[in-house]
Amino acid sequence: MINLKLKRREFLQLMGWGTAGATLAGCDLPTTVTLEEGKEEVVAYLSPEEYAIPGVGVWYASTCMQCAAGCGIHGKVREGRVLKLEGNPGSSINRGKLCQMGQAGVQNHYNPDRYSTPRLRRDGALVDISWDEAWKLIAEKTGAAGAGRVAWLTGTLSGHQAALMAAHIEAVQGKHYGHEVINSAVWEAVNRDLFGEAMPRLHLAKAKLALSFGADFLGAWLSPVHFSTEYAEFRKAPRGILVQVEPAMSLTGANADLWLAIRPGTEGALALGLAYVLAQNGVTAPAVLQGVISDYAPSKVAGITGVSEARIMQLADLLQKHAPSLVLPGHSAQGQTQGYETTAAIMLLNVMLGNAGQTITSGGEFPFPQLAAKSGNTRDLIAFAEAAHNRAHDVVFFYGANPVFTAPAALNLADRLKNIPFKVAFTQFPDETAAACDLIMPVASYLEDWGTHAPAYQPDGVIGLQQPLMETLYPGTPGLGDALLALLKTHNAAKYGAWNNYYGYLKQAVTSLPAQYRTAGQTDEAFWQSVLQKGQLKVEVKGGALQVKPLSGISLSAPAAGGEYPLTLIPSPRLSFWDGRHANLPWIQEAPDQITKVVWDSWAEIHPSTAAQLGVEEGDVLEIASEQGAIKVKAFIHKGVHPDAIAVPMGQGHDDYGRYAKNRGANPLRILNPVTDARTGELALYGTRVKAAPTGERQMLVKAGRDNISQRGRKLAGTISAEQFRRTEG
Amino acid sequence: MSLKNLVTDWPRYRQGIEEGGFQHYEHRWGMAIDLNACIGCNACSTACYAENNLAVVGKERFAKGHFMHWMRIERYWDENYAEQQHPEQGAHFMPMLCQQCGAAPCEPVCPVVATYHTPDGLNAQVYNRCIGSRYCNNNCPYRVRYFNFWSYYESSWPEPLNLQLNPDLTVRDKGVMEKCTFCVQRIRVAKDKARMENRKVKDGEFTTACAQACPTSAITFGDLMDQDSAVTRLWAKHEVSRYDDKGRPVQEQNKAHPELRGYRVLEELNVDPSVMYLERVREELA
Repeated sequence: MINLKLKRREFLQLMGWGTAGATLAGCDLPTTVTLEEGKEEVVAYLSPEEYAIPGVGVWYASTCMQCAAGCGIHGKVREGRVLKLEGNPGSSINRGKLCQMGQAGVQNHYNPDRYSTPRLRRDGALVDISWDEAWKLIAEKTGAAGAGRVAWLTGTLSGHQAALMAAHIEAVQGKHYGHEVINSAVWEAVNRDLFGEAMPRLHLAKAKLALSFGADFLGAWLSPVHFSTEYAEFRKAPRGILVQVEPAMSLTGANADLWLAIRPGTEGALALGLAYVLAQNGVTAPAVLQGVISDYAPSKVAGITGVSEARIMQLADLLQKHAPSLVLPGHSAQGQTQGYETTAAIMLLNVMLGNAGQTITSGGEFPFPQLAAKSGNTRDLIAFAEAAHNRAHDVVFFYGANPVFTAPAALNLADRLKNIPFKVAFTQFPDETAAACDLIMPVASYLEDWGTHAPAYQPDGVIGLQQPLMETLYPGTPGLGDALLALLKTHNAAKYGAWNNYYGYLKQAVTSLPAQYRTAGQTDEAFWQSVLQKGQLKVEVKGGALQVKPLSGISLSAPAAGGEYPLTLIPSPRLSFWDGRHANLPWIQEAPDQITKVVWDSWAEIHPSTAAQLGVEEGDVLEIASEQGAIKVKAFIHKGVHPDAIAVPMGQGHDDYGRYAKNRGANPLRILNPVTDARTGELALYGTRVKAAPTGERQMLVKAGRDNISQRGRKLAGTISAEQFRRTEG
Repeated sequence: MSLKNLVTDWPRYRQGIEEGGFQHYEHRWGMAIDLNACIGCNACSTACYAENNLAVVGKERFAKGHFMHWMRIERYWDENYAEQQHPEQGAHFMPMLCQQCGAAPCEPVCPVVATYHTPDGLNAQVYNRCIGSRYCNNNCPYRVRYFNFWSYYESSWPEPLNLQLNPDLTVRDKGVMEKCTFCVQRIRVAKDKARMENRKVKDGEFTTACAQACPTSAITFGDLMDQDSAVTRLWAKHEVSRYDDKGRPVQEQNKAHPELRGYRVLEELNVDPSVMYLERVREELA
């Protein structure tokens, strides 16, 4: 047993509850705390609890990790196996609901292509080694690396894993890169400047009109299930109106009352055009816009954007008539070389229309900054590629990210990784990054792991608890917390040796929360059990009114003419493959894409007029080429795309990643130009011009429903006007 | 199932077919699907795969129509799509599953009575009685019956994916027809529990996998024989009923308020579906 005397503040820091100010003042913690070894062990379901009756499922609460939204889940456990996941009705994020990626989580866990034992690359080939050897090797290599020579590259992290990550980074004086392709970094940067906080709360249900510039809030945006539940409220009487403006139709666009195709990269111009009309109608424009919008008369904006003058006038009129509204910038608005300005122009409409404070309110101050989400982005990916190029690191650990797949070929990441002598992939699957690593450490699935999660978008203050829903399938596979704890012990055994495992740490962390979090007289054990049962901890967030701050100069230039590359590539994110991480789940591959109904493949959405110019029909294999390379994809002729755009879904085209994903479709991220948003340094995902040409080859595009796109006059999915709806349902 | 049983029940069975289904229901499980809320996201469909051991068939077999999705999302474009530059009112999404018809066309054509009507109002499929004639599939106007052209238990569930299989129901084998059951295994558990506790099944104490997952709560499931259930109230609110005032099956709803959104798909076929849809709504901004 290790006894360690710590000051109270240090103790809280160690347990992840460190605060910026004095939020915890007045709590009843003693000034010094004795840490004891985590005595408890996780008991296998093999020796069942009294209530575990064979044939009867028991439901355990946990947190979904299929994207960073942090939905609460309930897992049905029977005879020691997890069988089915449902939403946790107690969660304010997903309110008992779960999307298809969440439903398919069991296939991540039981995936037949999971690694089970550590593997070391010797002379190019992977050989099995023991867990002891693997951990010893890591300790050796990390010990030999000097200050600043160790780095982590992970996806979005939060909760106590983020706290331990920060501790490890501090211990090795290393660097942590957070990488997600599907992120909202540009929007967050604008929010920080405009509202003083990155993630204000959005109240879609309260809005009478939502105008979305490509924000796929029902699909691949911040928190899909949360906004779907909000959308259901929004559509009830009195029914809210949804207008979606984007270059290629998203799932949200497919549900809009009015879907408008916009020339890629001109969303900012449309926002300024709307501000112009609103200002003409007497709405006061914020100072930063006043000098700018005079250049954006509707007639001119119509020319830039391809949205007609009448439509612009109509949109401005709708915005004025339906207050409060909510104007949202999505990936297609943010992912441009002028992403910050475009997003700012869109967000300023909210300020003009008085939505700030109504449908956008302050997210408050999350009380535990150590646990707050460290959202991934693409700026870190570029920085990491640079660091690799400059041989800045000797040891790199990867977890929850597959940068070799998601990085544009222009970053040359696979080659640059060769400059790092020792690369460790903490991964479940043989992905592209693992293929470039020296040591593969199989990790526990999220249904086998412990953790806490504070998702970046918080409808109210919540920390989700993640607990194993069954024994690990492959003994020895650590979770992220366990791995970090093991690494920390090699640097600071005095401090972190106190816990046998991450479970012990987490339990002590949770039970060391101040008394205000539990009911009076509740013992540590009872409190811990109650938190596990609920699957979440409600935390008090210090609220306040949303502040609106002046922004500095906004100037937009129209995107350059196409020239040799006439089309803009839209690497569209889907509520299925996400950034490619779910391409190895057979349910996801077999689920028809929501818009195109294609299965098991990639496709390129092109407008019939563009297709006619190219002389292609559905199934013709196109070569889509940018300055950085080319991909081959079958054409899908589709009217939900702007004639100047070509949309290819993100997530397919894996060279590796198991039997379901490998060599299937194409990866549009490969051919992106390495262009960035000037203000934030984020990759401009929608800023790559391409040309497309038929290769002469034709293959069938396999679709659900084949070519049945019309109801042929029958009332299958009936539609009525909103006017009629108002007469009957209000 | 003996021959004696079959012969004894035959008149009652025939009566059910001619007069619109089983006459003395204990429960009549039904559904309402609100297309104003449905966003076409596939959550219901994937939840169904997880709950009901649906096989994944792969691309080549999918292309041949061998897919097994009991719950599918149909996507239509506007009727005048050919003339449009862009689909400005979005897509028409529609979850389509077995409508559990009261007078189901699939039932009388089965040569071995593998598909029959339960006292719960379900079109049940008895897998070990099915000989794979596919007459039922041919007769289904909704195309919601799925045939196992192959054995999938090796290709669809390589180890350890098989550990996910729901032990409450079987994995169907080659030569057998299958279809949505309204999660009959969940119905059984709820009914057994209610019986043990000597009470009726309570509305909302369980639901189908699709309704439970649906992020917009577009699907309401319940007992149409329970006058207070949410689904019964929705049917009543939208003036959709199974019988007219003389107790005859309804071919076309005679609504006091014809603008109400409720309807049953292909009702004119007089198959008495147990699923009511609520029309999609669009603001006319053209």
